[in-house]
Amino acid sequence: MMELLYDYSGDFDPSFDHSKLSKEGLVDLLHTYSDYIRRLDGHWYLSVMNRCGNDTAFACDTEVWERLVLYELKIARDLLNIRGDDAVAVAKVFQASPWFWMYRCGIDLKSRDHLIITYTSCPTLFALEREGAGRERQICVDLEMKIFMKMAHFYNPKMKVTALKLPPRSGPDDICCRWEFKIEENK
Amino acid sequence: MTKAVYDYGGDFDPSFDCGKLSNDGLVALLGAYSSYIRKLDGHWYLSAMDRCGDDVAYECDIAVWDKLMKIELKIASEMMNIRGGGVASIAKYFQVSPWFWTFDYRLDLQDSDRLVVTFVKCPTLLSLEQEGLGRERKICRELEQDLFETIAHHFDPRIAVVPIQVPPREGSPDFCCRWEFRVERQG
Repeated sequence: MMELLYDYSGDFDPSFDHSKLSKEGLVDLLHTYSDYIRRLDGHWYLSVMNRCGNDTAFACDTEVWERLVLYELKIARDLLNIRGDDAVAVAKVFQASPWFWMYRCGIDLKSRDHLIITYTSCPTLFALEREGAGRERQICVDLEMKIFMKMAHFYNPKMKVTALKLPPRSGPDDICCRWEFKIEENK
Repeated sequence: MTKAVYDYGGDFDPSFDCGKLSNDGLVALLGAYSSYIRKLDGHWYLSAMDRCGDDVAYECDIAVWDKLMKIELKIASEMMNIRGGGVASIAKYFQVSPWFWTFDYRLDLQDSDRLVVTFVKCPTLLSLEQEGLGRERKICRELEQDLFETIAHHFDPRIAVVPIQVPPREGSPDFCCRWEFRVERQG
């Protein structure tokens, strides 16, 4: 059951817009939109996979996200003024991403040039584990690496992305994945 | 260039979340997410079409929106308390839907039994017209009719959905499409 954010049960209001919602209502609605984005993506993947096979669905998914991640970075830059050429910008963009709110994720900014991200709860991985087809090997390893590289290089082409820990997990108490973003200056 | 709604240009703030944005900022971010949803859907369609053909992509689109529409209607009913028969609920639903936020449209609630919706500007149609393959015949006529009937019947099974004017556009009409939602009373 979803929580009521705004009581629009009365007459039609021609002037209604979302600014009539309270701040808490707007935040909750943003979180709902985030989940909506995840579901839309997931249903498209499954729909293509059921008709054309996993290889085709994965190829589509990769192509789609290589484009969409740039839009996400543009939102972060234009609406939230997240800019820069270091790992700080990447840390901020994780916080601002609609995807971030659906995951439980620790951000450990060790320095301007070094960031570690740890996912401890990930609805996408849990769904893939329930499915049992082993698709997390592609989604969480190959695709995630491509997306994170795109993000990192948007800010700094010298930034390296390293997977420190990846699925499959050893058990339900294990973390989902851990990634390092690091700028290594030329020696 | 989009105007920044929050200046996150300074230091990393470990406690940052979207609750720090003003209400106007949250509304702007919701708007950006609406575009995100439309772009995500569009890129998936094109990617599937390139690999599997338009018929399969169209089938996937129908399957995806059959599921997503239920979530969207649940958001409208449970988070905004939009319920009940008559066409006013449909008018309200259009106002709160993340999908319709990306369109420029007019709602003309003529009485409790009759609503006319005019889409003045529709980025999907504009893209389809630029593409020039005539896909708007299926997307804007068949798929849209099915989706609008799902919306209408969620609120009131007596409501008929009638296309008044739908693409392909001839000449230079000042709108993209126009639909009527009408309660059909027996007797």
